Amino acid sequence: MKRRKHELSLTIAILFIVICLLGFVIYPIVEVFLFPKIGDFLSILKSERYMRTALNSLMMVILSTLSATTIGFLFAFTVARTNVPGRKIFKLISLLPLFSPPFMVAFSYIMMFGKNGLITAGIFGVKTNIFGWHGLWLAQTIAFFPVAFLVMEGVLQSISPMLEHAGRNLGATGFALFRTVTFPLARPGVAGAALLVAIQVLADFGNPIMISGSFSVLATEAWMRVEGWADIAGAAVLSIFLLVPSFAIFFFQRYWVNKRSYVTVTGKIAQMEIQKTGKAVKWTLFAICAFISVLILLVYVGLLVGAFVNGWGYDWSPTLRYFREISSRSKELIRSLSYSIVAGFSSALFSMVAAYLVSRKKFLMRRFVDFTCILPAALPGIFLGIGYSIGFTRPPVDMYGTAAIIVLSMIFWNISTGYQTGIGALQQISPSFNDAASNLGATSMRIFREIEIPLIKGPFFSSFIISFIRAVTTLSVIVFLSTSKNAVVTFSIMNLVSDGFYGKAAALTCVLLVISFGTLGIAKLLMGKQVQLFKV
Amino acid sequence: MKNVHVAISNVSKTFGKAKVLDDISLEIPRGSFTTLLGPSGCGKTTLLRTLAGFYSVELGDIFIDDQRVNDVPSHLRNAIMVFQDYALFPHMNIRENITYGLRIRKMPQAEIGKRLERTIGYLDIGNLLDRTPGQISGGQQQRVALARALVMEPEVLLLDEPLSNLDAKLRISIRAELRQLQQRLKITTIYVTHDQAEALAMSDMIAVMKDGHIMQVGSPSDVYYHPNSTFVASFIGTVNFIRGVVRSVADDRIEVEVKNGGATIAVQEKPQGTDAGNAPRIGDNVTLAIRPESIKLLDKAAAGDDSQNFFNGKLIRSIFEGSSIRYWIDAFGAEILADVFDPGENIVREDIVRFTIEPGKVHIIIDRCESGIHGVA
Repeated sequence: MKRRKHELSLTIAILFIVICLLGFVIYPIVEVFLFPKIGDFLSILKSERYMRTALNSLMMVILSTLSATTIGFLFAFTVARTNVPGRKIFKLISLLPLFSPPFMVAFSYIMMFGKNGLITAGIFGVKTNIFGWHGLWLAQTIAFFPVAFLVMEGVLQSISPMLEHAGRNLGATGFALFRTVTFPLARPGVAGAALLVAIQVLADFGNPIMISGSFSVLATEAWMRVEGWADIAGAAVLSIFLLVPSFAIFFFQRYWVNKRSYVTVTGKIAQMEIQKTGKAVKWTLFAICAFISVLILLVYVGLLVGAFVNGWGYDWSPTLRYFREISSRSKELIRSLSYSIVAGFSSALFSMVAAYLVSRKKFLMRRFVDFTCILPAALPGIFLGIGYSIGFTRPPVDMYGTAAIIVLSMIFWNISTGYQTGIGALQQISPSFNDAASNLGATSMRIFREIEIPLIKGPFFSSFIISFIRAVTTLSVIVFLSTSKNAVVTFSIMNLVSDGFYGKAAALTCVLLVISFGTLGIAKLLMGKQVQLFKV
Repeated sequence: MKNVHVAISNVSKTFGKAKVLDDISLEIPRGSFTTLLGPSGCGKTTLLRTLAGFYSVELGDIFIDDQRVNDVPSHLRNAIMVFQDYALFPHMNIRENITYGLRIRKMPQAEIGKRLERTIGYLDIGNLLDRTPGQISGGQQQRVALARALVMEPEVLLLDEPLSNLDAKLRISIRAELRQLQQRLKITTIYVTHDQAEALAMSDMIAVMKDGHIMQVGSPSDVYYHPNSTFVASFIGTVNFIRGVVRSVADDRIEVEVKNGGATIAVQEKPQGTDAGNAPRIGDNVTLAIRPESIKLLDKAAAGDDSQNFFNGKLIRSIFEGSSIRYWIDAFGAEILADVFDPGENIVREDIVRFTIEPGKVHIIIDRCESGIHGVA
């Protein structure tokens, strides 16, 4: 009797997960593909303007991926493999952009290096034009190199120092050792990191919308189609152009590059002294890391200054008026917070349940659930936004202008991080714990309550925090779904920047940063080492 | 006059607060197979890595061929190491792994080929050259790691527990092979292990280490039959310790009265077994170390008394181990182990057993506050 009840609730849970994934992940994707007619595809393929946009996107992917991966590798090598002073600080600083709104770097660099830039015009007295591909390149490099850094730091750290010692013992020193041992071993990791960065650059909406000016890329062009011409079909076609390479890169990275990793081949990692780095190399690396760190910190300095001065570029007197004016935006702020809390929690819960079912139970659609939970990580935010806008703003399901459509998009855009965290955590929990507990007489309910829940509490909490921060800082997903009735802060900031209200936009961004970093800080305090936020 | 190849002189090393090597001195003869033996954490691997040049020498000196090498980088010492986990480069095939060091030295291709041929000949790995480390077995990886070191024609070969990842049978066969190869090539070899059987079987010289100190240096039979401390005695093999007081000392015969039970055991100590200045005197508290195989079980009726080292004891239990039987006997107020080899199917079951100990197989250790009944390695 009891057993049957258990089976029933299990079936209901599986059905719920499958239906949600079909409805909120698969259906919107399919809608984007079905919406445009053949004619729409052809007219876009024939248009020189769109082909140029596609080429622009390709160019940015190549440029920004190269620069971000190179800088990421230098950082990772410095932190993991040298005795350069200040490594911990460099690491901390480089992680900041991961928890900040994606458009923030571009916004701040406009204020720092633009026509009225604090540094360019203010200090050096030169009028520069930051708008265009070069400004975008700089912003994307700074915004996305931390991703590359994190991946490659992990890779470098897992290369056994024994191998380097063996190389040294056999005669390889300095650069010869790096060229023949360290770098070849890290190469699969470098490739993986570069591909992850490429996906982010390709999908990036926040930076180009602010800084690329007339230089359009696919993501911004799709937005322009809708905003300017109400051409949803055109936007759908452009976002498909965005999806296909992104999807291809993602699964190539996941199933091919990861398999080539050497990390698992080497044995246990012995504690070995890190060999001293040569002086010239050491200080060169230090200089590079310090320079990049300053560039990162400038982002935050720019925002702070921008929020506290009267008129950017012409009136540097301090003021608090922008923060007072925020109260007029309190609706958006409250929406941002409440939507993100609900979305973050639901996303973490949903993905943890899915992870539990996939890793512990055998059922018919198991592979489908596994694939679909990872899928959103391959979707550009723009694409999912257009999908929701096509799928859920007309009968039979009309959620136009509602809170629900925003929250749902935030939930399902974020399930893959939570899901992968959950799978990882459950893999650590050996099924023999369950066997041991049931052998000692615990029922399956008690095992779940007393063994598994306490062990997945930490990962659940981390994925809640991550989902929350991603939701509260996202722009690309919600931009197509926002109306005056459900707009959130990031949407207002975008509009304020494009209308030139830098002070107000900077103040709002500061509030977002306080929310984001504050959440992180509280999470660290509450959970200590249990929270692992630095997984990519 | 022995020809010293590697000399370690008063070397100390600390990691944080822990003193890992404490004033170590050791002279290693040219062409010898020397083993650093000790439990985990005794500093043996640290000492080896310091010799290889992976760790800096904090205090003391290291000499190779009378050259002080403290500040000579690892690759210029030509002391090549075989790592416990082999540390084969996973991104290179076996050929590239073995020739790596030669290629780094920019040796001409022809010479590299010649050396490679010679080395793979020693180790019978010619058919593996085009595979990668992930594709070959543990035993094969072990040979490749050894080949990568030997191809360098090192001055000194350093081996860090190279057999510990192999299964028991393979370990014993590679052990013999490694020793033969070493004797053939006459390379000075320093070997680190915690396995006393391995140390006894392979070495010319054993240095037993504990807590960063060298406890004893000697040939395998020296450290086995004449341990200078209860630690060495119990770490190498199995031993019975019996505490007693010296009652009489003659030229070649010392009599020791057992503390509990009052029996007297006669000892015939070889002159070189104990240091001259440290010879036992009447009244000394001593510990007798007796190997289980040195205790002979006898017929109940066998003649002889205490003065001839014939004793009675009470049989407690026994275990059949195939080539031998181990008996636990209550005697001298303690549990004494006795091994009987080639026992056949006649297991002794009587309550009271009679046994004898050859005076020459009993070793005296002057007490240094160490105690213990019997140590089992």
